[in-house]
Amino acid sequence: MRNLIAKLALAAAVLGSGLGTAAAETANIWVRADGSNFMPRIVDAYNKGHTNQIKLDIIPNAEIIPKYGAAAAGGTAPDALSLDLIYTPSFAAAGQLEDITDWARSLPYFASPSPAHVKTGTYKDHIYGLPFSADASVLIWNKKLFKQAGLDPEKGPANWAEIAADAEKVNALGGNIKGFYFSGNCGGCNIFTFTPLIWASGGDILSEDGSKATLDSPQLRGAIDLYRSMVKKDLVPAGAQTDTGANFFAAFAAGNIGISPSGAFAIGALNTQYPNVDYGVTFLPGKDGNWSSFAGGDNFVVTKGTKKLPVVKEFLDFAYSLEGQTILAKYGSLPVRGDIAKDALKDLDPRYQIAAEAMAKGRTPYSVVFNDLINSANGPWTQMINEVFFGDDVDGAIANAQETMQSIIDQAPQK
Amino acid sequence: MTTIATTTAPPRARKLVGAGRRQWIGLLYVAPAVALVVVFFLIPLGMTAWMSLHNWPLMGERTYIGLGNYVAILRDTRFWNALKFTAYYTVIVTIAIFAVAFPAALFVERPRPLTNLYRTMFFMPAVVGFASASLLWSWLLNVDSGLFSPAAYELGLIDRKFNLLATFQPAFWSIIAMVVWKVAGFTMIILMAGLQSIPQDLQEAAIIDGAGPFARFRAITLPLMRRTLALALILSVAGSILAFDQFYIILRGGPRNQTLTAVYWIFNQSFVSFKLGYGAALSMVLLVILVALSLVQLWLLRKPEGLD
Repeated sequence: MRNLIAKLALAAAVLGSGLGTAAAETANIWVRADGSNFMPRIVDAYNKGHTNQIKLDIIPNAEIIPKYGAAAAGGTAPDALSLDLIYTPSFAAAGQLEDITDWARSLPYFASPSPAHVKTGTYKDHIYGLPFSADASVLIWNKKLFKQAGLDPEKGPANWAEIAADAEKVNALGGNIKGFYFSGNCGGCNIFTFTPLIWASGGDILSEDGSKATLDSPQLRGAIDLYRSMVKKDLVPAGAQTDTGANFFAAFAAGNIGISPSGAFAIGALNTQYPNVDYGVTFLPGKDGNWSSFAGGDNFVVTKGTKKLPVVKEFLDFAYSLEGQTILAKYGSLPVRGDIAKDALKDLDPRYQIAAEAMAKGRTPYSVVFNDLINSANGPWTQMINEVFFGDDVDGAIANAQETMQSIIDQAPQK
Repeated sequence: MTTIATTTAPPRARKLVGAGRRQWIGLLYVAPAVALVVVFFLIPLGMTAWMSLHNWPLMGERTYIGLGNYVAILRDTRFWNALKFTAYYTVIVTIAIFAVAFPAALFVERPRPLTNLYRTMFFMPAVVGFASASLLWSWLLNVDSGLFSPAAYELGLIDRKFNLLATFQPAFWSIIAMVVWKVAGFTMIILMAGLQSIPQDLQEAAIIDGAGPFARFRAITLPLMRRTLALALILSVAGSILAFDQFYIILRGGPRNQTLTAVYWIFNQSFVSFKLGYGAALSMVLLVILVALSLVQLWLLRKPEGLD
């Protein structure tokens, strides 16, 4: 009954706006709260210029998965949703998503969207998700503190030795000022910012298809030693050890941290909320140079069996247009179409270009059990990073995490 | 509501006499309560039991697997570890709560100047929700921007800020302190009510017989408070076994997963790993444990022969 009233009200609203015709349809789309800045703007822009309409619901980050699951079970799932890309494989594996392989292949720019998104959007050679919003990990440094410490404020660290040396110099300023910050008890933060250090040095933590955990590598140990040495020299605030991600951005934004690994989102957030912080953006380097990045963000997925597929396609076409990509970039996400990224970012902060480049070369681990392995606050990855950065038994922690991760992978549903 | 109106209205109903009629009316009176229990307890409980027999993912097809989940629980060492930690926590926190609440109850029981102020002060934290209290303490315990560690540092008591939540012992005892602060006031009120129900003349008679304060406490106060103690104990034990909020909000089960409680593990299985069927099976196991423990407590604190 309420549903009916809502539909009637919606129909009235559409007609009342003077845009509606008898054929107009409304599709329902969900987005997690991370997208609450750019998503409503894109939907508004789309709704203004089209007969078909999109109804947007914003769902808290932690709730969107259980809520979607419950809605799908009850037959009230949205027609499509913008889904954290790492969940795409598990959603596809659960048989919840519409196979959009043919449509995706027909897009002229299919080769150019972020490859990391397309990889996670593909399950058993079928495509279930297309890139929607993007965030790449980068290294940011505080130019003011660099200057005070006698460093070149325009030159960020380009390898591990430089990170350690620069952090130490900034730290020597004393007082509240610390050299380096990372969220030491946050699995999601560290898969985003710590693994690129390993990738850039030639290592990896999971095999390409996600079927093997490969933690015991010299590259991982090297990166651990870098963080451990900075912790030991007291270059990192004591709170890092228990930070579950709450201070991931806030610590640097307060202005007394020299260097911090972060994400492209920080550029928009710093510019709008902390205009006084003068910062530089560079790539997350490998041990001896080189660089890498974690390509994060959302995939756009379609609920299996939806009748509104044409509307959803029309909306996605709009989002992929230069207009859509520019709105996206202006309000906190990187553009996902590599071929027009430069145009979309043209009038924005030049530091975005670094992040866009990082995105284009970004990587994403592939796993149907990503949440259990990596993001869960009680998963093996989170436990390991905390132990290896701050604990006494590095070997034991790595061995334990390797074993637990492999057993979680092996127990995952094989379909 | 309508049921009551229609069943009591016909005059014929009045012809029912004696015990039969009283029973019907009695049933009618308890009907709303029974309905609540059925709708909000028995049916969900039955559904949980039903779910526990399935491989029931959040999304996708569910399959009937009989007792498969229960067999898996037997091998789930992390659940048993969580249960072990929960038991340890329950014992410690219950002792701590009573160690604070009993003296406090004795203190505020008798009227003296400012009694009401003390009662209010001790009871105040009990009206704060566990989640809000946890958020408050998670700030108080924060090493960089909180209260305890920075204050000790500024006062010169320690020469380096100490992260209370980074290692097991300080983190665990911080939670105990928080829970005692939050719950002891409530236990105190229950115990106080028990103390006040002890007739004053018994105490006076004992004084005339020459019993000292300790003897009176042991021979009069404690035995007459059996039922109150049982209530307070069961509430405390059940609450502690179901502990979740404080460990989730303040510690996230850390440091290094050493403070994962049983409910936390159920939550993780159900809503992080999306194994709803397995979570349901774990819940059933926990329910059985809790019911058994409560029965044991009731039996231990049963009414002695000839009293009351």
